[in-house]
Amino acid sequence: MTGSMSDRILRIDLGAKTSSLWAVPDDVRAYLGGIGYGVKILSDEVDPSIDPLSSENKIVLTVGPLTGTSVPMHAQTCLVTKSPLTGTILNSYAGGFLGPEIKFCGLDGIVLEDAAAEWSILLIDDASVRFESAEAIVGATTDEAEAYVKETYGADYRTLSIGPAGERAVAMAGTFSETRAFGRGGAGAVLGSKRIKAIGVRGTGGVATADPGAMRALTAQNMEVLRGARDDQYSLIGVFSKYGTGGGMPLVQGHGALPTKNHTYGSFDGAERIDGPFFEENLYTRRIACFGCPIHCGRIHKFSGADGGDLWGRGPEYETMFSLGSNLLNGNPETLAEANRLTELYGVDSLTTGVTIAWALEMAEAGELSAPGMDLKFGDPDSVLGLIHAICTREGIGDTLAKGPREAALELGQGSLGRAMQVKNSGFAAWMPRRMKGTGLAYATSNRGACHKRAPIGAEIVGAVDMDSYEGKAGLVIEIQDTVNAVFTLISCRFHEFVTDHEVYPKLVAAATGRAVSWSEMVTLGERIWNLEKLFNLKAGLTRADDKLPKKCLEPVLGETSQSSVIDEAKFEAMLDEYYELRGWDSDGAPEPRKLEELGIGDYAV
Amino acid sequence: MGFVIDVGKCTECKRCVIACSLAKTGVVRMRSSRIEIRPNWPEVPEIRLCRHEDCEGQPCIEACPVGAISNVDGVVLIDGEACIGCGACETVCPYHAIRIEDGKAFKCDLCGGDPACVHECVTGAIEYREVAE
Repeated sequence: MTGSMSDRILRIDLGAKTSSLWAVPDDVRAYLGGIGYGVKILSDEVDPSIDPLSSENKIVLTVGPLTGTSVPMHAQTCLVTKSPLTGTILNSYAGGFLGPEIKFCGLDGIVLEDAAAEWSILLIDDASVRFESAEAIVGATTDEAEAYVKETYGADYRTLSIGPAGERAVAMAGTFSETRAFGRGGAGAVLGSKRIKAIGVRGTGGVATADPGAMRALTAQNMEVLRGARDDQYSLIGVFSKYGTGGGMPLVQGHGALPTKNHTYGSFDGAERIDGPFFEENLYTRRIACFGCPIHCGRIHKFSGADGGDLWGRGPEYETMFSLGSNLLNGNPETLAEANRLTELYGVDSLTTGVTIAWALEMAEAGELSAPGMDLKFGDPDSVLGLIHAICTREGIGDTLAKGPREAALELGQGSLGRAMQVKNSGFAAWMPRRMKGTGLAYATSNRGACHKRAPIGAEIVGAVDMDSYEGKAGLVIEIQDTVNAVFTLISCRFHEFVTDHEVYPKLVAAATGRAVSWSEMVTLGERIWNLEKLFNLKAGLTRADDKLPKKCLEPVLGETSQSSVIDEAKFEAMLDEYYELRGWDSDGAPEPRKLEELGIGDYAV
Repeated sequence: MGFVIDVGKCTECKRCVIACSLAKTGVVRMRSSRIEIRPNWPEVPEIRLCRHEDCEGQPCIEACPVGAISNVDGVVLIDGEACIGCGACETVCPYHAIRIEDGKAFKCDLCGGDPACVHECVTGAIEYREVAE
């Protein structure tokens, strides 16, 4: 026991219905927590070549040194597994209250191993585990499944669930936890393959820290910074606090960088009816927060349902305003809200689902794809909602789309692959690589596919660096990838790092755990984790060809404000070469032995 | 002085709960907090907290069979030594603000007049101030 960490991880063997407490060994403790624990454990225990939906895959849920403490914006839980969507190692995050509850159980993580024989509900009370039958909720939505757990076993359980999409192995199925989701990478399908429909977690303990006085002082300082940012209308944090993450949409639109109609245009005429301010100003809105967060970027809204009654829905996030809004030419706020709600009830990632639908609509427009009984058109509510239903039930064309954008395009052929806006089968986030070249490189090189969480979005969108330039972007992207991996060992909210001086993180670790670590050591740890992920992916069979943007990026973005931005293939490849070289990797993207030795992970070489 | 609660402003972040448990027990433990945010999803939550002087009749004092609860200058306090953990006070509290653990009742003691929870609330859902009559 070191301060805020219990140094215990609960291992649950789903096949044998047994569990045990694992004392976290020193070589794992060196990874601090969060993504570090997850990537280290999966790298050590799971063969990268396995089928992600086989019982050999594992799900590692982790928390970090600051989870469940007074430090704001550390509510998230990290989930690491092998992704059925990308075939890579996945790290996915959800906020809310699950992470702190795991900590209150006296645990630093939970590892799910093997697979259950029947659909099951797992109930975790402190360190004890119960298996219950999930028979009554097979086929239920995420909301219904979680309500069932609370009503049947106790309202104070914090819950995690999958919906029908996860049960049916939809490649982009998410895992949902109350108001939040592990969206990226298809973790819901992995949980489904293990026949776990829902998990309840209830902890009765507390979280102590190594130096309570220092924690109190650091928390107060951090809260002061966050209060300042919260009240600043020019800070992104202030915008998110006031309008949710959709508050930033007008800024992106202004730069001609809002992906529209499957990334054909960089601006959308209907944007002002689907952005954060619109929802906030036109609908009854409750602002909701994750554990201990003063920014409360979450939203729930009340609509009038078709039958005239109240219909509650979680507010779409900015990424969903793109994926199920502008990118589908859907400027109807009710359709967007309904589409967002459907993805949550079925339990799929709204991002990759929307990106796959956008590709299907483009192919339908080109006459290359059709669906019996459906008239597929951009901007058509029936097409948007109909395809979500089809994907999540795997009916008709939905069975193809449920495999993700790249796999669907490979199945259709007809040159459609270049129109699927994805990397490694994971859909683009709401940012345009052609407008923002560094973000393009971040999409291409991300170990989990088309990821915006480790991209120079802030620097490019506010103009701190020239968004259109390739110069210096390789180094910038590496710095951000390693930095974000470092703070994800603490599972800091991505927005926390926007306004927090990096030197504060080692102080927080020391106050919470008593462990001395410098910021530069943390960044090196971030790099070590990045390399471990890369090695896992190489062993899983990925190559340089997977670090590639789709061909559509070689065509100019249409629309006046987007300045005909385009990816120049030669310049992009040169930037990728530079990235590999700066990483200490060979021209195929494999880490050089010297780099692995320097990072102390020579044993993991391919 | 009294608590002024506007539940419509509550984001359910629980910073108040975290602050209370730290102030009273030195660790973050939700079950030890004297203030509780009970979700009523998707509607606004219920904030469970003793109202002290603003509580009409203060029935917990009457209900206590051993006289362990008293009103000291407007602050309703439980004498932990005297408490027998019978739960009578918990039953009658109109604000559901009293909890029992390990055979002892506990509730808000106003932190000596400067409640820790209030400092952490960024939206103003809980304030402690003079209320205009």
